[in-house]
Amino acid sequence: MIASVAVVGQENNPLYLQSFIDGDDALKFHYIVHSSLDIIEEKVNNPKKPGVSLNETYLGLLYPTEDYRVFGYLSNTKIKFILVTTDQDVRDADVRNFFHRFHAAYVEAASNPFHVPGKRITATAFTERVTNIVKSFGASSLA
Amino acid sequence: MPGGGREVAESCVDSLNLELVATYCKRLHPNKPELAARRIEAIGYQVGLQLAERYTKERPRFADHLEAIKFICKDFWAEVFRKQVDNLKTNHRGVFVLQDNKFRWLTRISVDSAPPGEAAQMDVNAAANASRASQAAGQYLYFPCGLIRGALTNLGVACAVSAEVSTLPACSFVVRVKV
Amino acid sequence: MAPPTRAGDYPFAPVDRVNAELFTLTYGAIVRQLLTDFEEVEEVNKQLDTMGYNIGVRLIDDFLAKSNITRCSEFKDTAEVIAKVGFKMFLGVSATVSNWSADGSECSLILDDNPLADFVELPDTCQGLFYCNILCGVIRGALEMVSMRTEVKFVKDMLRGDDAFEIRLKLLEQVAEEYPYKDDE
Repeated sequence: MIASVAVVGQENNPLYLQSFIDGDDALKFHYIVHSSLDIIEEKVNNPKKPGVSLNETYLGLLYPTEDYRVFGYLSNTKIKFILVTTDQDVRDADVRNFFHRFHAAYVEAASNPFHVPGKRITATAFTERVTNIVKSFGASSLA
Repeated sequence: MPGGGREVAESCVDSLNLELVATYCKRLHPNKPELAARRIEAIGYQVGLQLAERYTKERPRFADHLEAIKFICKDFWAEVFRKQVDNLKTNHRGVFVLQDNKFRWLTRISVDSAPPGEAAQMDVNAAANASRASQAAGQYLYFPCGLIRGALTNLGVACAVSAEVSTLPACSFVVRVKV
Repeated sequence: MAPPTRAGDYPFAPVDRVNAELFTLTYGAIVRQLLTDFEEVEEVNKQLDTMGYNIGVRLIDDFLAKSNITRCSEFKDTAEVIAKVGFKMFLGVSATVSNWSADGSECSLILDDNPLADFVELPDTCQGLFYCNILCGVIRGALEMVSMRTEVKFVKDMLRGDDAFEIRLKLLEQVAEEYPYKDDE
């Protein structure tokens, strides 16, 4: 199950953060997202394995915590996408598929002439799309 | 294919470009050419940011500035201007010159916009009018300059972009990377 | 209701087509810049209409040439041609004509889809903006070149939550053609 998702801008400015777990977890997720930014930075600047995977947008598992697994994705335009799940065992294909759709939803939102680059995404169409993508996470194995 | 396949007549794009220039350069700011240029460039910049986002959706990240600029010369140019840049030059110190020998928008605009009478006159006084035509063509390059700057900025290449018209419809765009 | 028409009834010559996104995004950026330049939304509506008018005036010859349409003398036929050929040729979508007034001088063009509005979500600060208003100007400009003086305005807008885009078309005056055109038949 997805606990929360986030989109973070080029200057590490939050563009979108949504939690899908009831309760007072907002602060905790802010913290998780914040910590994952450093890991993304590190992964991109000091890749352990040089080669083709160097510039792949999908960054894989960023770090596991006791309760969550955190995944990352970095677009060509340096927009960071973060996924926090409660499942300890998540299929790689599902995560990739999720980011693919999440990124596509962001691109549509950024194409709205009234979206201000670097500012929070407030369009309801984006929120609805993300909610649908989150709901269908893992439901199909289509990549 | 970026975008998802919806298509419009190319004349829609041409008409909008022509009218964008007419609106800012002739109607709104006839006596302030620099202000008109800034406004049109800003419109191009916004579109450039958005197009970079759309066109790179399915791509791995670019490793350096040169890769991003090559992407502009090939894929971006092909999508927007329907051909590739003819020549890319660099001084290896952050200046890139993108030369297009037959810039699509200038060919479309010079053919479509000249009223019949004016076109005939052009034939007679071709040489005399050539420089004036180049000057007028410059107005149509504010928007593409903004497009290129917006796209490159979004791909991590902060820069300034200017354009030069040599002989219509050839032109070059000069990209100066900020350090 | 207008009689049902099939899109295939009006074949037209192929035109160069391009991916719509550049056009859609350019238009969006223009609207946003105009909103910054003019504080009044009403003034932005007017600017968009004027831009459209200038485009319509230029586009009409190209349209008549490509559509193989002999000049429409009847307003009723003209409305059908705009809906079925004009929108289709330029924007790739077709409109329906409906809501004719009793005297036949007014009708509506209804669109349930339109590439100008792709990706757009209007912020609350844009109350009163007819985002696609350029279309009204294009129609008005084009019709003026075939001797029909019209008033064209949006009465429904999907971006404002309506179920469709509805453009109201009103014929004000039809100037007699200098060279009356007779059909061969």
